[in-house]
Amino acid sequence: MRTPRSLTIEITSRCNLRCRYCYFFNNPEVVYRDLPTGEWLTFFDELGSLGVMTVTLAGGEPFIREDLPVLLEGIVRNRMRFAFLSNGTLIDDEIAAFIAGTGRCEHVQVSVDGSSAQAHDSCRGKGSFEKVLRGIHTLQRHRIGVTVRVTIHQHNVHDLENIAHFLLDELGLPDFSTNSAGYMGTCCVNADEVLLNVEERKEAMATLLRLTEQYPGRISSSAGPLTDGRMWRRMEEARAQDKPAFHNGGRLTGCGCPSNKISVRADGAIVPCNMLAHMELGRINHDSLSEVWQNSPDLNQLRTRHHISLAEFEFCAGCSYIPYCTGNCPGLAYTLTGQVDHPSPDACMRRFLEEGGAIL
Amino acid sequence: MNQIDKPIANPIVVLREEFDDWAVLFNADNAAAVGTNPVGVAVWKLMDGKKDIEGIVSEIKNRFEDTPDAVGEEIAAFVGILAENGFVGLEQDSK
Ligand code: SF4
Ligand code: SF4
Repeated sequence: MRTPRSLTIEITSRCNLRCRYCYFFNNPEVVYRDLPTGEWLTFFDELGSLGVMTVTLAGGEPFIREDLPVLLEGIVRNRMRFAFLSNGTLIDDEIAAFIAGTGRCEHVQVSVDGSSAQAHDSCRGKGSFEKVLRGIHTLQRHRIGVTVRVTIHQHNVHDLENIAHFLLDELGLPDFSTNSAGYMGTCCVNADEVLLNVEERKEAMATLLRLTEQYPGRISSSAGPLTDGRMWRRMEEARAQDKPAFHNGGRLTGCGCPSNKISVRADGAIVPCNMLAHMELGRINHDSLSEVWQNSPDLNQLRTRHHISLAEFEFCAGCSYIPYCTGNCPGLAYTLTGQVDHPSPDACMRRFLEEGGAIL
Repeated sequence: MNQIDKPIANPIVVLREEFDDWAVLFNADNAAAVGTNPVGVAVWKLMDGKKDIEGIVSEIKNRFEDTPDAVGEEIAAFVGILAENGFVGLEQDSK
C-alpha cells in the first residue's frame, strides 16, 4: 500500500471518566496535550489527498471535543468515512443527529462492562452505566450503528452470562466484542485489583467459549480470554497430535497492523499503533504521512518483526508450542518486557499452564 | 446503456493507486469499494462527462497495446457496474 487505508486518531487526551484499567492515561512516555481544531483540519486535508478511506476517532473520549462537528465536516469534506471508540457517556441527541446527517459513520463503539451498574461502574465510576445506556439508546434512535466492547476484569468476570443476555437479548444488539484489561497505563497502577488472575482467566475462557455456542457468530474478540481460549485449544490439539507448524507459527507474527494502518496521538505524534504510543515516527503537519508510511525506519523494522523466530528467545527455550505460537501483541510485549521484538508474556500459553491454567 | 450516454466520474469517489499497478475506487457515501487494474484506472480518468463509451474505448485502444477484441464490451460492463454502485453518473447528450 502506498498510503494507509485507515488511521486511528486520538483526537483528544481529555476524558470525563477515570477508568481503573485505562490503557491510555498514566503512560509516562506520552504527552497529554490537545491540538487546536485547525491542526486537525489541515491533517484531514492531507489524508484526503492520500486517499485514506476511514478514520477511527478515539481518545481520551472523542465526544468531549466541543469542536467535534467541525472536525467531522473536515473528514466528510475529504471524502472519508469515520468511526468512534467512545465510553458512550457524552452522546446526546444533537451530536447524534449531526453524525447521522453526514451518512459517513461506520459505527460508534461504546464500552459496556456489566449487566448492571454495580459491575459496570466498579471500574468506570459511579453513574457511568446509566449514561452509557442513554448514549446507546440515543445512537439507536438516530439509526447509527452501535458496537459494544466488553473489557473483562476482576469485577465483571462472574457477570459474563448476564452481560451477554443483557446486550444481545435485552438491548437487541446484533453482536459484541470482548477483551480483557491489559497491563498498560493506569491498569499497571491498579493491576492487583483489576487484572484477571489465572483462575479468573480460566473462568472467562470457559464462559465465553460456552456463550459463543449459545449465541453463534454474535460474540467476537481479537485479544483477551476468548481469543486465547480459541487459540490455545488449537495449539494444544496441534502439539498433542504432533501436527505441522501453523503457517504463521514459530515467529513474531502476532500483529499485522503496521502494514495496514497507523495511529496519531492527541499531541500529533504519529505512532504505529495506540498500543505502541511511545514509538514516535513523526509529527502531523511537519512530516509527510506518506513519507513516514513508506520510509520510516522504525515502522519498516516493525513490519519485518514477523521474520524473528521464537526459538531465538530464552523466554521460549524448550517450549513445545513454538511451531504454533505467534508471540502475540508487541504493545503488551513492550510494557511487560521493555522490548517490542519479544513474545508477549501476557498471552504465553506455557506460562499460563505453568501458573495453574488449563486448556478447556 | 445508450451509446450517447457520457459517463462522468462521481467526484465523491476516491481513487487509491496502490503499488503493483493495482488500484481501488472507494465511494465514501456508501462504503463500496471496487478493485481495478491500470486499464480501469485509465477508463476512470477518462470519464469526464464529455466522452461517450465509444470515445473512451478508442482512447484506451490508443494508449494500451494489444487490447483484446472484446475490450469495448468489457469497458461498457465495467462502467455499468460502476454506475450501479453510484461511482459514475451518466450525462445524457442534449443533441
Ligand atoms: S478507558 Fe477510555 S473512558 Fe476510561 S478513562 Fe481511559 S480513555 Fe476514558
Ligand atoms: S514460551 Fe510462550 S510465547 Fe514462547 S513459544 Fe511457548 S507459548 Fe509461545
